[in-house]
Amino acid sequence: MTEAPAAENGKPNKRGKGPLGRAKRKRVGVRIDMTPMVDVAFLLLIFFMVTTVFRRPLAMEVNMPEPGAKVEVPESNVLTVYIDRDEQLFAKVGKADPEPVTWDDLAPSFAAGVAANPDLIILVKISREARYEPMVDMMDLLEDAHMERFSLIPMKEADEQALEQFR
Amino acid sequence: MTPMVDVAFLLLIFFMSTTQFKPPEQVAVQLPLSRSEIHVPETGTIILTVNRTGQMFISSESGRDIQELAPDNVLDAIVNWRGRNPSAVVVVKGDRDAPFGTMADLMDALAEAKTLRFNLMTDLRRRQPPGSGSGPAAQTPRDGQ
Repeated sequence: MTEAPAAENGKPNKRGKGPLGRAKRKRVGVRIDMTPMVDVAFLLLIFFMVTTVFRRPLAMEVNMPEPGAKVEVPESNVLTVYIDRDEQLFAKVGKADPEPVTWDDLAPSFAAGVAANPDLIILVKISREARYEPMVDMMDLLEDAHMERFSLIPMKEADEQALEQFR
Repeated sequence: MTPMVDVAFLLLIFFMSTTQFKPPEQVAVQLPLSRSEIHVPETGTIILTVNRTGQMFISSESGRDIQELAPDNVLDAIVNWRGRNPSAVVVVKGDRDAPFGTMADLMDALAEAKTLRFNLMTDLRRRQPPGSGSGPAAQTPRDGQ
């Protein structure tokens, strides 16, 4: 307590030096006002609470026709896309022979097909041994190409055999 | 300020202890990707799950009432569940590697159960449209069957 008067204003003076010459500092109680920080913290908390949207699963909508509904379409208006059991793509228009195609070719060929024939209908035949993913890819592609009406059917044995010769 | 912090902590602890997280999924499904951004409703859904081996399950959105379906009672189960909750939205949650044959049969069963509108659950594909680059198949890694 002897050096208390010397360090009263927080500045050590020469008389306040210890035996080793180091300045002895009188500690000053520092009070930091926490209120603005807490304000900001609450503001952020409330902001994130209000704006948070939990990730909800997404889906594609499917509208199927009535079972048994039959639509007669001339074969020349049909663009058939085959997805075989190895998930290779084949396409044909009308009665032409199926030709191997790639995913990249499909969108332009849909666009070209519709430009040539506005009544074009797309028929997608998928092998039962293929996976589900190419079906969703195909639906996505058709939706992108604004072809909301298409048929999707599993391939029959005859189709599988017919495709063999065009590989 | 102490009372306010007390209340804040009280609320924090209350919400922490009452929050229920989504139960872990009983059936592991890797969803296919699409560019569709339609959200599945949070409640009132019937979820038909097909895993990569083609096993089928039916449940509500919570997944607590999940039950496995044998291929020959899919139609009965759908009719039964739709009867209990006629306004429910049917969501098909198929694994991307599920066999197409199973999915085709499931969709036939849905059509037969007069469920002509349904949703296919997908994950968002955040890439450019096909045609301006590589197509969907080229972008999704193929892990063999």
